[in-house]
Amino acid sequence: MATVQEKLLVLVALQDLDIMIRECDDKTHTDKLTAMGFTQEGREDLEEARKELVGTIDKALVNRYERTAKRLGRAIVPITGNICLGCFTIIPTSYTSSENRDKIMQCENCGRMFYWPKGS
Amino acid sequence: MSHEELFTLFSKDLFIPELKAKNRDGVLEEMVDQAVEAGVIRDRDVILGMLKNRESLGSTGLGEGVAFPHGRSLAIPTLMALFARSSKGIDYGAIDGKPVKLFFMFIAPPIEKENRYLPALGQVVELIRDETSREELMGVKTFEDFQKIILGGE
Ligand SMILES: [Zn+2]
Repeated sequence: MATVQEKLLVLVALQDLDIMIRECDDKTHTDKLTAMGFTQEGREDLEEARKELVGTIDKALVNRYERTAKRLGRAIVPITGNICLGCFTIIPTSYTSSENRDKIMQCENCGRMFYWPKGS
Repeated sequence: MSHEELFTLFSKDLFIPELKAKNRDGVLEEMVDQAVEAGVIRDRDVILGMLKNRESLGSTGLGEGVAFPHGRSLAIPTLMALFARSSKGIDYGAIDGKPVKLFFMFIAPPIEKENRYLPALGQVVELIRDETSREELMGVKTFEDFQKIILGGE
C-alpha cells in the first residue's frame, strides 16, 4: 500500500501530465513547437499513461484531485516555506509539522492539496 | 531573448561534457541526476516521468545529432537548462534516426512569470540550425568552451 507521500507524488505526476495534455490541445502552444520542428503526435499515448497512473491510487483521491483541478487549474502545490503557492496566503505552522505528513492536507483558503518535496 | 539572457539559464553544475549513459532512458536519468545533485529540482522521479511522457508524445531528437528534452513540472521551482554531450552518440529515436550527441534539456515550472521557457528553447533550436555551431558544440570540453559558443552566436 502506497504511503500518503507516495500518493501525493502520483498526483504531482498526474498534474504534470494533465498540463502536457492541455498544452497539446492549445494551438498557440503547439504552433510554436511545430515551428521549431517538434512533432506532437502521441496524444493517445499520454492518455494511456494517464490511465495507468490513475490506476495506481484510490478513486476517491483521483476524484478529489479532478474536482479541485477543474475549479482551480492546479490541484496540488508544493509546501516550501509557510505560504500556499496556489493562492499565496499564509499556512498555519501547525500544518507543516511532521505529524501531518501522513495526512493529506489542503489549503484552508483555496482548497489545493499540499505535498512535501523530497528533502524538505 | 539575448544570448546573454539565454546563457544565464545554464550553469557549470548543469553541464555534462561526456555522458556515461548508452541509451535514451539512461541519458534522461543521468541528466536528471545531475540536476538533483545541483539542487535545482524537487523530485527526481516526477521529472523523469514527465520527460519520458514528453518523448512518447514525439521524439525531441530533432535530427542532425541534437535532442531537446523539455517540459513543465511542479517538481521544479524555476526554469533550468542543462547541456550534455556524448561524443559517441546515443540511439535516441531521433526524427532522422541519427545518433544524438548534443542534449539541451529545458524544464520549466507550470507557471513561469517571466515566460522564458519557449523563447529560450526556440533560441537554442535556432542556434543549432547553424552547422558551425553544431560542430563546435560537438567538440566542447569545458563550460568555458560552451559559454563562448552560446555567447558568440550574437
Ligand atoms: Zn491556497
